[in-house]
Amino acid sequence: MFLIRLRAEFEKKGRAKYISHLDLNRCMLRTFRRSRLPIWYTEGFNPHPYYAFALALSLGFESGCEILDFNLNEEIPFDEVRDRLNAVMPEGMRIVRVWEQKMKITAIKEAEYQFSLVSDDAEKLYGDIGKLLSQENILIEKKTKKGMKTVDIKPDMKIISCENNNGRIDVCLRMPAGTQTNFNPNLFIDALRNFSQTGFSAEKITRTGIFCDNNMKFE
Amino acid sequence: MLREKIEKHLLEIQKPSRYIGGEVGSVTKDKSKIDVRFAFCFPDTYDIGMSHLGMKILYSLTNERENYWCERCFAPSLDFEKIMRENDIPLYALESLDPIKDFDFIGFTMQYELSYTNVLNMLDLAGIPIFAKDRTDELTQIVVAGGPCVCNPEPLADFFDIFILGEGEEVNLELMDLYNDMKKKGASRLDFLREAAQIEGIYVPQFYEFFYKENGTVDHIETKENAPAVVRKRIIKDLDKVYYPENFVVPFTEIVHDRVSVEVLRGCIRGCRFCQAGFIYRPFREKSSDVICAETKSLCENTGYDEVSLASLSTSDHSDIDNMLTKLIDYTENERINLSLPSLRVDNFSESLLEKIKKVRKSGLTFAAEGGTQRLRDVINKNVTEEEIMNTCRIAFQGGYAAVKLYFMMGLPTETDEDIIGIAELAQRIVDLFYSIENRPKGKGVQVSVSCATFVPKPFTPFQFEPQDTREEIERKQKLLLDSVKTKKIRVSYHDPNVSMLEVILAKGDRRLCPVIYEAWKKGCKFDSWSEHYKFDKWLEAFEECGVDPKFYANRRFEYDEILPWEHLDYLVSKEFFIRENKTAHKSITTPHCRQRCSGCGVNKKVGRECF
Repeated sequence: MFLIRLRAEFEKKGRAKYISHLDLNRCMLRTFRRSRLPIWYTEGFNPHPYYAFALALSLGFESGCEILDFNLNEEIPFDEVRDRLNAVMPEGMRIVRVWEQKMKITAIKEAEYQFSLVSDDAEKLYGDIGKLLSQENILIEKKTKKGMKTVDIKPDMKIISCENNNGRIDVCLRMPAGTQTNFNPNLFIDALRNFSQTGFSAEKITRTGIFCDNNMKFE
Repeated sequence: MLREKIEKHLLEIQKPSRYIGGEVGSVTKDKSKIDVRFAFCFPDTYDIGMSHLGMKILYSLTNERENYWCERCFAPSLDFEKIMRENDIPLYALESLDPIKDFDFIGFTMQYELSYTNVLNMLDLAGIPIFAKDRTDELTQIVVAGGPCVCNPEPLADFFDIFILGEGEEVNLELMDLYNDMKKKGASRLDFLREAAQIEGIYVPQFYEFFYKENGTVDHIETKENAPAVVRKRIIKDLDKVYYPENFVVPFTEIVHDRVSVEVLRGCIRGCRFCQAGFIYRPFREKSSDVICAETKSLCENTGYDEVSLASLSTSDHSDIDNMLTKLIDYTENERINLSLPSLRVDNFSESLLEKIKKVRKSGLTFAAEGGTQRLRDVINKNVTEEEIMNTCRIAFQGGYAAVKLYFMMGLPTETDEDIIGIAELAQRIVDLFYSIENRPKGKGVQVSVSCATFVPKPFTPFQFEPQDTREEIERKQKLLLDSVKTKKIRVSYHDPNVSMLEVILAKGDRRLCPVIYEAWKKGCKFDSWSEHYKFDKWLEAFEECGVDPKFYANRRFEYDEILPWEHLDYLVSKEFFIRENKTAHKSITTPHCRQRCSGCGVNKKVGRECF
């Protein structure tokens, strides 16, 4: 049977950031049905439409670059696929681009995040971030399938930028992501909370990019 | 802004998508162009309320009108309620995220008695005075209620400005139109209520005063402000022409009934004597098969649901059922949609349709037998015979099923120990049947689940006069049932009799219960239908402090000639009919269903046409 493997990049913002990953699955199924696109069904005892998200996004995070893979039974122009999905998407979700799958999901190595840390004493917090980053390792408890485990996030974490902008510290960092290791930016935020005496809140955590080895954008 | 305040805390609570709206199918409007705002409130959590079909209908219907805006509002779970109270977040509607206290109408649907305290809690969270008498003289914040429980709204009378009796599709808009007119003319709240009381189906409780006899029963009811002595419920004459939504709000989080539901018919021909729905929704009216199919198609396409269910009291009583299901199954199969058919009798279907239905039905097998012996089933007019149950079980076992669920009631009028033991014996015969079948499912044991509810006599039924068994008696019967079951293949579950007792009191009560409900809520009662939140001791304290005897409502026989607390409300079925049916029940005589012979309930006379 004819089958074309597509990939879509989509935004998840505003009210849509409260859709959990499990609910997003159901939501996408209904979006496909509303679009009436000829989506490919698995063949087997219980046929169901096939689609998959490259990475899970934590509840409450926004993103401009989520990846959705699915197959169609017919060749339809990419822009038309995008428009038909966007016409029936929930508020806050929007397909940016559709293309034919080039890389394997396993090629994903990193994800980039931006967020702001808001504090009454941003000056001191900014200094604390510097001190935390200059440490040899940054240890933090991480929940795994086998229970709590202490991990060192220092070796794999990259700070892209960190600026103190009038009381809010804007951070851009990259964390390992993909099928092997997945570090949530909250690990860094928690580590900072443990390390610093300064109270702060983390706002507008947004995923801004998904990358492969050598800084290559995932396509 | 309220939205920022809400969002600040959303990640601290369970299932935050319930509190922020934005679902596909939800309707947002420019509020500067709106004349009347309606907050449709369901007094339970989002997961439950979003499953309610009536809300979906009235939501879409109201929003069809450009200058009216209907929004949704639900009871927050305890975790979010705590945050709301700590951070001064008033109860708000999900579309605009505006506080509902600023709305023109705050409308509750009263689906079950155990949600009454939630109404008080929601009004309090909203910052709206709980008692109608404490609300402003201005024309705003009109608190209304509809739904099955308002057939006896007296226990709620002090909290509401208006009760809407019967089907809302027409009268809701009439009420909003009147409001819109009078608001423009600068009328007061009282002016509006006085006019509203003249609309058929509108009951303004503050215009009615109850007087009681020394023995506690109602002596007489006086009306004022020219309100009608009797308020009659509204019905829609032609179901094919009534508004039905083409789209539903599609929630992100999973809800109890997460599917398209299409209404097939209203009313019921069966006349089971305990069943309130079977009487208050009369007359029997059905939608044509073509309309049902068209509505199914547009709803599935617009929502993207891949599951549809038919809603009615008894789908198989549709006169064109064979043709309707054939058409529906053709469509759903083609579109890979699951069709679920609850409350279906399979007695008289054609062979080819049975084949098709077999492909559709994957859910478990359930029977509402209600009574353990044929004598008792005759008393309650539940026309199910043991032979029918056994036949269907045989077919099901041969077709690979190994589990059956049976529903019963305990504490029914005329019930004896023999009837209770009969429940266990019936279940045992189903177990025996399973092992007598040669081609039964291999490697599986049979599982018969017996679910036993406590009988709750309800207004507007032939059993409205009946007392409920006392708690001690119900507990004794529950023990008797457990002792009568001899095998682990039969699993028995039953309801907490303390919950059923509150249910009957709130169902059959009068205005003297308003302070009791208020006190119980003050003591922390809410979500009474959730066993983990039910506080029976607090309720007993509230009764005690208000000097109200719960047994007066729960365990007393209401006399035929007594003025019932709901006597001034007309649900089309006559009291004479209920008395006649009650007497017939006590003689263990059944009444044939409406298609076989008119039982003379009086609906046809009042509606002015024959039902069939």
